[in-house]
Amino acid sequence: MHHSIDLTELPAAGPEMAEAVSNCVHCGFCLPVCPTYSVLGEEMDSPRGRIFLMKEVLEGHLDQGSVQPYVDRCLGCMACVTACPSGVEYGELLFPYRAEDHSQEGSSHWQRLRRRLALSVLPFPQRLRLALRLGRWTRFAHRLAPAGLQPLTRMIPEQLPPRVPQPVVASPAGKPVARVALLPGCAQSVLAPQIHADTVRLLTANGVEVVRPQSDVCCGSLDLHAGEAEAARTHARHLLAALPTDVDAVITNAAGCGSGIHEYPLLFKGTDDEEAMSDLARRSVDICSFLARLPSLTPMRLPRPLRVAYHDACHLQHALKVVSEPRMLLGQVENLELVEIGGDGFCCGSAGIYNIDHPETADRLGAAKAAAVEDTGAACLATGNIGCLNQLQLHLAGRGLDIPVRHTVSVLADALLPSNGPA
Amino acid sequence: MNPPHAAAEAWEGRATPLSQAPMVAGLQAIVSPERVLHTAAQRTPFESDGLTAFRERPGAVVLVDSTDEVVAAVRWCHETGTPCMARGSGTSLSGGAVPIPGGVVLALNRLNRILDIRPADRICRVEPGVINLDVSKAVAAHGLYYAPDPSSQPICTIGGNVAFNSGGAHCLKYGMTSNHVLGMKVVLPDGTVEELGRDSLEGVGPDLPGLFVGSEGRFGIALEVTLRLLPLVPSYRTVLAAYHSLGAAGEAVAAIVASGLLPGAIEIMDSLSIEAAEVSVQPGYPKAAAILIVELEGEPVQVQAEMVQLEAILRESGSHEIRPARTEAERQLIWKGRKSAFSAVGRLSPDFIVQDGVVPRTRLGEALEFIDRLSTRYGIRVANVFHAGDGNLHPLILYDGREPGALHRAEELAGEILTMCIDMGGSITGEHGVGREKLAYLPHMYTGADLALLHDLRKAVDPGILANRGKMLTDDLPPDPGAPDAVELPEQWPDDIRAKVQALQERIRSRDRVTIRGAGSKAVQASDDHAAILDAGSLTGVLEYNPAEFTITAFAGSRVADIQDLLAAEGQYLPFDPPREDNATLGGTIACGLGGEGRWRYGGVRDFILGLRFLDGRGELLYSGSRVVKNAAGFDLPKLMAGSLGSLALMVEATFKVFPHPEASGTVSVSGPLSDLLDTMAALSCGRHEIASLVLETAGTEPVLHIRQTGRADQLPARLADLQHTLGGSGTLLMEDQALWSGMSEWSRDRSETVLRVPVCPSRIQELAQGLAPLDMGMRWGSGGNLLWLSGAWQDRIEPLLAQFGLTGVVLRGPRAPRLVGSWREPRLLNRVRSVLDPKGKLVGGLPNRKD
Repeated sequence: MHHSIDLTELPAAGPEMAEAVSNCVHCGFCLPVCPTYSVLGEEMDSPRGRIFLMKEVLEGHLDQGSVQPYVDRCLGCMACVTACPSGVEYGELLFPYRAEDHSQEGSSHWQRLRRRLALSVLPFPQRLRLALRLGRWTRFAHRLAPAGLQPLTRMIPEQLPPRVPQPVVASPAGKPVARVALLPGCAQSVLAPQIHADTVRLLTANGVEVVRPQSDVCCGSLDLHAGEAEAARTHARHLLAALPTDVDAVITNAAGCGSGIHEYPLLFKGTDDEEAMSDLARRSVDICSFLARLPSLTPMRLPRPLRVAYHDACHLQHALKVVSEPRMLLGQVENLELVEIGGDGFCCGSAGIYNIDHPETADRLGAAKAAAVEDTGAACLATGNIGCLNQLQLHLAGRGLDIPVRHTVSVLADALLPSNGPA
Repeated sequence: MNPPHAAAEAWEGRATPLSQAPMVAGLQAIVSPERVLHTAAQRTPFESDGLTAFRERPGAVVLVDSTDEVVAAVRWCHETGTPCMARGSGTSLSGGAVPIPGGVVLALNRLNRILDIRPADRICRVEPGVINLDVSKAVAAHGLYYAPDPSSQPICTIGGNVAFNSGGAHCLKYGMTSNHVLGMKVVLPDGTVEELGRDSLEGVGPDLPGLFVGSEGRFGIALEVTLRLLPLVPSYRTVLAAYHSLGAAGEAVAAIVASGLLPGAIEIMDSLSIEAAEVSVQPGYPKAAAILIVELEGEPVQVQAEMVQLEAILRESGSHEIRPARTEAERQLIWKGRKSAFSAVGRLSPDFIVQDGVVPRTRLGEALEFIDRLSTRYGIRVANVFHAGDGNLHPLILYDGREPGALHRAEELAGEILTMCIDMGGSITGEHGVGREKLAYLPHMYTGADLALLHDLRKAVDPGILANRGKMLTDDLPPDPGAPDAVELPEQWPDDIRAKVQALQERIRSRDRVTIRGAGSKAVQASDDHAAILDAGSLTGVLEYNPAEFTITAFAGSRVADIQDLLAAEGQYLPFDPPREDNATLGGTIACGLGGEGRWRYGGVRDFILGLRFLDGRGELLYSGSRVVKNAAGFDLPKLMAGSLGSLALMVEATFKVFPHPEASGTVSVSGPLSDLLDTMAALSCGRHEIASLVLETAGTEPVLHIRQTGRADQLPARLADLQHTLGGSGTLLMEDQALWSGMSEWSRDRSETVLRVPVCPSRIQELAQGLAPLDMGMRWGSGGNLLWLSGAWQDRIEPLLAQFGLTGVVLRGPRAPRLVGSWREPRLLNRVRSVLDPKGKLVGGLPNRKD
């Protein structure tokens, strides 16, 4: 699609933004895979429509505020990127565009408040812990909370899991086959610290030495995906400083974080940190990809037969293209029957803070996904992202289903044989 | 030749009577206000379809939630003189879904319910916003699928497919959308809601679904569509063959066609489109100047044997790499590369125009060389990916819209390609439609009176120019000034035909009432004794027959038997299997919509008639359609004429699509209680056996079901044995079955008997067999249970009884035959068409006489 976007008016990511517009031929192959198009059924809420709208704004034909509700409603799931035959890197248009978009015309007062609360608390473990303790009272009186805040308060767990102590360096029994740093993570370390513990167990059982940075810094992905570029850069710089450099890889175990780090080069394009951030992006790898690339894996076996459904987190599937690796790993576990989730393959509605930002759309997607999970007859649901985990747990419970949702690494770690425990 | 935008500009200035504010207010009174999109940000994304060269901003977009809302909106538009159009997924490649400037867009994508699936009848009824691929997904559990497969099938909607008669990769064998639409509920531009067609595979009366499909929205909007489904293909063999030149790949196509094979698809991609696909979806195509994709389909043993034959042909044709798909995943990958090709080209160039012209298959090589020369001359890259089996080209003309004049030069090049297609006797569009893009070129394909007819039909149905204004026909430009009076008879006609046609024209013009007679096999007894007889039976002879094209053009008085013999000498046949008895003519066969039992497999007359020259009730000699196997330009009048019973036109010359004749045939006949046989029929209809014909006889003491299979002689006995096995070992096998089936086609040997042809549904046989029993007539349920043949003595109670069951039939022999009887009511669309073709009501035929 040709355009008359003036690159001199754009941020450093301008050429990539324009390239995405230019590559789009408006064929519509993105329509059937777009969750918001499916739910809302209008062209403005499709990838093709949003590209058209963003193009018009960048060309100066439409006012940014009038377009904002539609751009805002995008989950950023990137399913369209996987489906696109023309190679449109939609994210390279969307995220820089959002970062430049400071209009709030289309948002409600409550939506803005929820977003501000979420982004000023979630990425900071101390604040989050405190907020969740306080929030328990709001949850207790959930129905008394203002309706506009309920999408936020209902996400608050009844009880915080106990902290799990993490060694600074976890070493395998023999000579390490690799040495990696584990991305500390922010919200996940508070909400589900077990995921990190399981990741470390899994890595050391397979001969990998794991270094854990001391401070629980956020990678900035939540801000980045919500269009808060400057906050994202600040987080990223802290992360870079906290990570050791003498490692073979930086392991991520949250899909959103992994894909956010891969967007650093564009986020820092034209800044002094561009090279360092590109280097970090190159070194970061999802836990399942990393394990799948190891020359050999320790045998895994569950004590009892278990039917497990695997849910593709969008940022793993579409942004990082990690699709076969988790299936391959789960498939190696003895006594584990892996089943696919049917239905349309849409996002579960979690999408960073989307379920807090746009609860109606997120609820429809979450409910549909929970129904598809129920159809599999699985006794356990595995997924590679904390956001999906919480969203699916909420909606499965909403259907009255007692299906635990667990991180892929936790399912795998359960299957480690006692003899393969860490040293 | 003018580039398309010149013509398009002419109507751009046409204002809508309403400004935006009252338009929005008016529509908001019909649907809930938030579903009337009116801000700039809401309307902008609807400005383009799959062809971004055109953009128009609508006044309002209505997100419709029910068909009632569509009707209400269309009525409102009619009352206020507001132009409106429907939009599904906006994937048109001809600008067919570009909004009317300032007009209303009805977004139908939410009308996506599958209303009804009837496996035993092999049909389903859907709303227009249902996605093409979702139909196949929904019916797969019943062992069925929906055959038309445009590359955009995961996105495009049935409503859009209907409007533009979409094709796909498998048209050679299965035809286009119009071959798979049996019935529909539509809203005409004036708000009239009516049913066209029916829920049977067989038709009666003029084929109105055939006319509506491909009318590019100019006749209104489909609200519900009844689709014909096919049994899932039992097995596929797909092969990739690589060539060092495009020409060599083209010659391979000719060799495949000449061999008597009938592949489901034959596709070619050139190096540029291979490159694009490879970057896009990595199908792993071989490095080559061209690749050929051939797909065979059918019962495993048959396909296996055909594959051996095909591979030998490909080796001989000089392919340097032949790669059969070994798994279903490999097959899917081959198709993914092919079907992504258009969009993938977006990686090579920011803009492109995709063309859709058709040339006779035997001239493919010539056409490709011509395009190559054009590409060099213009210095513009052209990627070629096309349906080689149909001669349907898809040159992708790559340009950069940011360069000044680039679009204009690309359009000029595209124009030269279209001119070439017309000059070669092809079509400007095989499956994308004229839309907005090819507006300027339709008048080059149809000229003079033929073009005027298209305009006249549009005017008769939509005088206000409200429905999808500016697509297919340039509404503000007067049709080509070539005066209809000055129509010259085709040069290649022999003198005696010219003289006869002129005499017929004279006779029509000079008389008040005329009735058409061919060879008299249908025992025409004009209902009006004063009507002058038009003798069409002496218009005989073959004009063009090139077996490699799979087409034959002959004068309509030619005897079916003669044509069949001629085709048989080349190993080909008319797949709808017309009865040859009593000197039946091609024209009479078209007029009566008659096919034999072979119709079950591939379709009837309507599905195989490609082009038609006819005399209308004004004595005008008119042409519609084309002589190539695929064409989506203009209204499809040849289809309309199938079943027109002499009330719309006198057929002069017709072009048919033909197929290679199967080598051998065999029949298994089983007898038993009716309900058992109906169960067997239902199971076979959705089963893995490829059935050529299926007929149920309930006349004798015990009902008998005849099941015919055709195919390669070496594999047929095994297939028949397998079929008998499925039937539980019952049934008698007949290998020399020609006499049985020709007897079946001859609808009555006893000329004193009345014969009626009544379309029905298999699922109603039980009910009808009992309900019609009081007539005490012979009953045979042909064409897979979709057609009831009634024979016996004429009785006056036939008509009311048929009407009571909601049936319409044709009296083929009997009082005032041929004519329609039963519950027939003339749809308004047909009334409008007749007002154009026969304004004075001169033609006395099988439809009730015209009243204005």
